[in-house]
Amino acid sequence: MPFVAPLALLGLVFVPLVVAFWMLRLRRTDRVVSSTLLWKRFGEDREANVPWQRLRRSLLLLLQLLLVLVLAFLAARPFLERPASLARELVIVVDASASMAATDVAPSRIEAAKAAALDALRDLPSGGRVSVVEAAAVSRVVANRTADLGRVREAIAGIRAAPVASDLADALRIASGLASAAGDSEVLVATDAAVDIPAGLAVKAPVRVLPTGRERHNQAIVALAVRSSSTSVTRSVFVSIANLDIEPATERVEIRGDGRLLEARDLFLDPVTRAEVSIDDVPRDVAVVEVRLAGSDQLACDDRAWAVVPPDRLLRILLVSAGDPYLETALSYLPNAELYGVAPADYGPGTKPELFDLIIFDGNLPAELPRVPTLAIAPPRTSVLGSVTGTLTDPAVGRAAADEPLLRYVDLTTLHVAQAVQLTLPDWARTVIPGPGGYPLLYSGERDGLRMAVLAFEPRRSDLPLQVAFPILVSNLVGELVGASQAPSGSVTPGSLVSLPVPSTATGLRVTRPDGSVVEITPAVTGGAAATFAATEELGVYTVVPVGLPGPTPAPSASPGATPSASPGATPSASPTTPPLVDPSAPSRFAVNLFDMGESAIAPGDPAKIEAVGTAPAGSGEPGAADGTHRPPARDELWVPIVLVALALLVAEWLVFERDGLVRIRRWLASRRGQGGGPSRPAPVPRPPERT
Amino acid sequence: MEPRPPTAPAAGRQPGPGAGDGARAVFLPSTVDPTVFDEAFLRSLERLLVLLKKPVRGGLKGTRRSTKRGLSVEFADYRDYSLGDDLRTLDWNVYARLERLFVKLFIEEEDVTVTLLIDASASMSHGAPGKLLFAKRAAAALGYIALASEDRVVVAALAGRVARRRASLRGSGRALRLLAELSAIEAAPGPTDLQAAVRHAGAQLAGRGVVILLSDLLDPAADRAIRELAGTGSEVVVLHVLAPDEIRPDLEGDLRLVDAETGGSVEVTLDLAARERYMERVEAWRTGLADLAARRRVSYVPVESDLPLADLVFAELRRRRVVG
Repeated sequence: MPFVAPLALLGLVFVPLVVAFWMLRLRRTDRVVSSTLLWKRFGEDREANVPWQRLRRSLLLLLQLLLVLVLAFLAARPFLERPASLARELVIVVDASASMAATDVAPSRIEAAKAAALDALRDLPSGGRVSVVEAAAVSRVVANRTADLGRVREAIAGIRAAPVASDLADALRIASGLASAAGDSEVLVATDAAVDIPAGLAVKAPVRVLPTGRERHNQAIVALAVRSSSTSVTRSVFVSIANLDIEPATERVEIRGDGRLLEARDLFLDPVTRAEVSIDDVPRDVAVVEVRLAGSDQLACDDRAWAVVPPDRLLRILLVSAGDPYLETALSYLPNAELYGVAPADYGPGTKPELFDLIIFDGNLPAELPRVPTLAIAPPRTSVLGSVTGTLTDPAVGRAAADEPLLRYVDLTTLHVAQAVQLTLPDWARTVIPGPGGYPLLYSGERDGLRMAVLAFEPRRSDLPLQVAFPILVSNLVGELVGASQAPSGSVTPGSLVSLPVPSTATGLRVTRPDGSVVEITPAVTGGAAATFAATEELGVYTVVPVGLPGPTPAPSASPGATPSASPGATPSASPTTPPLVDPSAPSRFAVNLFDMGESAIAPGDPAKIEAVGTAPAGSGEPGAADGTHRPPARDELWVPIVLVALALLVAEWLVFERDGLVRIRRWLASRRGQGGGPSRPAPVPRPPERT
Repeated sequence: MEPRPPTAPAAGRQPGPGAGDGARAVFLPSTVDPTVFDEAFLRSLERLLVLLKKPVRGGLKGTRRSTKRGLSVEFADYRDYSLGDDLRTLDWNVYARLERLFVKLFIEEEDVTVTLLIDASASMSHGAPGKLLFAKRAAAALGYIALASEDRVVVAALAGRVARRRASLRGSGRALRLLAELSAIEAAPGPTDLQAAVRHAGAQLAGRGVVILLSDLLDPAADRAIRELAGTGSEVVVLHVLAPDEIRPDLEGDLRLVDAETGGSVEVTLDLAARERYMERVEAWRTGLADLAARRRVSYVPVESDLPLADLVFAELRRRRVVG
């Protein structure tokens, strides 16, 4: 029998050591007795002044010698050899997507996949190397071509299913790169195969799937949104729930606001359908809405979703205009907005433009643009917002994209424009309303982290103010420009990057994740208006707090050139003054939800589609590289039965050593049974027969 | 004759403070060891006497009827008259019927000597309770019964290779002397050759009688000692005294057992099984001695040193017909 560590058999030198201990004479306690007559044959052989004694037969000695033999055998690590069924270069890809958290196999698909991967390692030939790739939103190599199976097992054990959609194709490309470096290679994919494999993907090694997953019993929340009512007093919650099972299901939907149960409904869901639920009258003070499915399906991560209610604070809009009653009226109808006005001549640093959420330049443009979202209407000259190349007279209005969010509910088919500025579309913007000759009439985009929009014509020089579309367009424009200055109010996909705005006076942001951990981020450039946050793997609500603010925000000083105009009908001629206090240190929130039908559909896929991407490598010159005929054999170490034998010997040795106590216990128990529980007494010595 | 208890003068007295715990009773002579024969023992002796009132008339069952024919009232046999015979023994009634002279033979009653041989070897001082103490008390009880039967009592201590004859007493009035003699017996240091000591004692026996050996028989030649005694022609009783911890030792572990007499040692490793084997060996040893005694017509009485005196006399000795 071969051994991994044959030198460990030197441990057999302990055999004579044990025997020597047994031959050494014991230090005994002297006890004076009346006579040793009857003890004669109990005694050991005695030779005066000799420190050893004759070896006696003893079961304890036998057990101890056996134990030494077994332990030496165990240390030498004997093994058996058998033909290896795996290649010498093995790449294990473990799918860690959200669907792998399904519990249709105990305890979960990911654990079953990991166990299958670990079990497959037993067929690895001796000296084989293993790489492990974790297939998640971003695939990564967690063990790279190592022959240390302990590290491999540790790497596999460290893989956890994340609530993200994995890119298995990317993981297979990585595996292909690892496998192609060796001749005899193979890729094992531990997955539920519930993924789409792009056409043309090829792995330069045979691919074998270790399938996991059996069922498809799952219902999921696939959409959640909170909208303010027209009165801005209450909000409505819209939930979309999908039954991805082929059996009908009944689910209880719970809507909670800041942890309080607002409403619960029982839904009957037909197989493979979606159901929409809307709940009105969400109280105004609710900041976070959470929706739960109380049923017991096989995937938990899509049974909860969160939505952050947009902050309800007043928007401050500064209109720099010589006076446009149509525009002022349309802006004044915006809910939660305060309109301030200033004449172009009075606009300057004293106006404190940084305190406004939006500045609209109507027919004018300052030399230096403020660092706030800006809407420019008919800019008179070339600036960073666009090059003015002329004037368009009676321009035709082009057909806008159907999915343009700025034109939602806006009908421009009857729009007529008398005169517009001819602008060249800058590279940071997209055309919203196309004009003649490729010159846009309205475009929007993000520049230096700020949302900008340019309207090429003054509303009063068109019939737009006379149409229903005008206030809607104004509302959409304001919503687009202002909404981008805040944390994302929509749902964020797990694992995706989030751009978070950084107040101008802050040095960075502190993001508290749903599990309570805190991540501090700073803008990529000093003084940047946004910072990127990447640790969004966890589902739930993230809280963002600016850091590095210079103490409490000072009250803006009274500006001689600005007068607050609280009334919606404020005119630019009104003297602008200090806008209301704004707390830039106020926390903002965003929610991360799965909302991925592909991951929620947990029905196992076809492993053959994945195995089909594998190809046998071309001859690499190594003998037996392709067919594995010259692979080293796999080894099965025999330590488990040897350890069991050693434990059995230890127990037997203990039982023999403590046999007196065991006999006493047995007799005591027998006496308890026989006498109904009296104390045990030694059996009386029978007296000799009576003689006379 | 009704025997009178030797402690009769003290019968009406109340034991003083400390009586029974080794304090010397006022009526005891100074030669009586109060630690051996304390007041509790003496009271038990009194009770023994009362309870044995009737049997005491029989005394110890020795060879009371001599094989010699002599003058007594109990007829034994006839024989032909020969010249010189005492004419008073002729049975004239037979002569009248048969016209032949026959002499009536009567059983001659002899004076019985009860010899108490107490093993005073060093081994007797070991064990709990002490075997020598038990032997002295048992000897006192038996000797007292013998004195009450007007038998002669001889006390001898076996130590070394000799039997030291302590006293030869007769009459119930010598009971205190008996106790004093027994009190003076102490365990002798050094080895004891029981066979030699018994042979020496046998040589000192005057005529046939009752010989009672009180010993633990922890001697390699114990069987030969019994044979020696059986060969004296006396009625032999062997009281084999062992302490309970010698029969059921409470020893455990790796020990070196040192012989109290010889100083020799034996190294043993004692566990439950070894102790059980030892107890089986002790039992076999006692059974062997009992078989030997039976073959030699010796009364063998195995006792433990914690046996109460009354149980010894009424149960053990009467059951084995040592006491009538």
